[in-house]
Amino acid sequence: MTDRFASGARVRTVHHDPTHHTRLPRYARGKRGVIVEPEGRHPLADIRSQGRGDAPLEQVYAVRFAARELWGEGDHEVVLDLWESYLEPEAEAGH
Amino acid sequence: MARINDVGGMTGFGPVVTADDPDDTEPFHADWEARVFALNSALVREGVYNLDEFRDAVETMPPGEYLAASYYERWFHAIRVLLERKGVVAAGELDD
Amino acid sequence: MSGTHTDAAISRRVRKLEALLEERGIVAGAALDEALDAFLAGSSPLNGARIVARAWTDPAFKERLLADGTSAVAELGYAAGGVQPQRLRVVENTARTHNVVVCTLCSCYPVRLLGPSPSWYKSEAYRSRVVREPRAVLAEFGCVLPADTEITVWDSSAETRYLVLPRRPAGTDDLTEQALTDLVTRNALIGTATL
Repeated sequence: MTDRFASGARVRTVHHDPTHHTRLPRYARGKRGVIVEPEGRHPLADIRSQGRGDAPLEQVYAVRFAARELWGEGDHEVVLDLWESYLEPEAEAGH
Repeated sequence: MARINDVGGMTGFGPVVTADDPDDTEPFHADWEARVFALNSALVREGVYNLDEFRDAVETMPPGEYLAASYYERWFHAIRVLLERKGVVAAGELDD
Repeated sequence: MSGTHTDAAISRRVRKLEALLEERGIVAGAALDEALDAFLAGSSPLNGARIVARAWTDPAFKERLLADGTSAVAELGYAAGGVQPQRLRVVENTARTHNVVVCTLCSCYPVRLLGPSPSWYKSEAYRSRVVREPRAVLAEFGCVLPADTEITVWDSSAETRYLVLPRRPAGTDDLTEQALTDLVTRNALIGTATL
């Protein structure tokens, strides 16, 4: 299986709002970020948290977000560890 | 739908109680906390439940209870919920 | 924290649970004691401090540590993980950059390298605010950074655990690796302090 995203790729997080466990926090949903690096494949926590044995193994990526993108202000950055299915490609000049 | 554990960016929790917390010189503040910690590790190792199920059980505490509970009280709550769900203990068996 | 009355009640209930699980053959009290002792003996901020002192004194090790933290700390006999194996990522502070670690969703932390986490790390106050206003939170720790320092907050949301490699204090060129180890604090390894 090849990774969907390379380091440096621009991505946008999905805007999901599940009732189950997830590792994509509210503050980072539907936000644009940049892939820092892949971290290795892990069972998708959203599924495994339901006690199911069929959680897909997905690449997890460190993804960097500008504070301004997350909060509308601020000069710091936040990095989150996100499973591949939380991410969509973002067009190069996307807004 | 957001759960009570998903606090990143929330306001109202006040300043961080940082330095000189006498509790923080010891890993556990009471013996029962150490037992809860050890029990949880053993139950995960034994495959009774996995760590994501455990996190799920902590997060689904009613928000008021979650915020009022100490860290290891949340753990104990989650262990009880999971053991009942898995049928390891009967509902109510652990009540006083 | 809980008062003594609550503590007595919960400790009775925990004992009851443990007895019940032992009776059903799911856990053994002696094995729990052993696992707990091994955990407490092996998990301490001293491990993180030793890793940092080695990185400060051995440039080749530092390079390996930043490239692949998991393998580099294994050279020293350490693992990042708790119950499950975990990947370790070491993030380096420089003259222009500062790193700080949090887990906003729960309390993920490199327990084997730092020991059980401090109460503030698990608090809603820290978890909610450090991703939103890290400078204000760091200031509450007495850690005031120059305005042009770039801050990265690492919100551990999966199976990687983060350790901060603090800047080596000035004037420590003559110190031995052991003496350098003594300088490294837990907060510096989390990123809520500089040295």
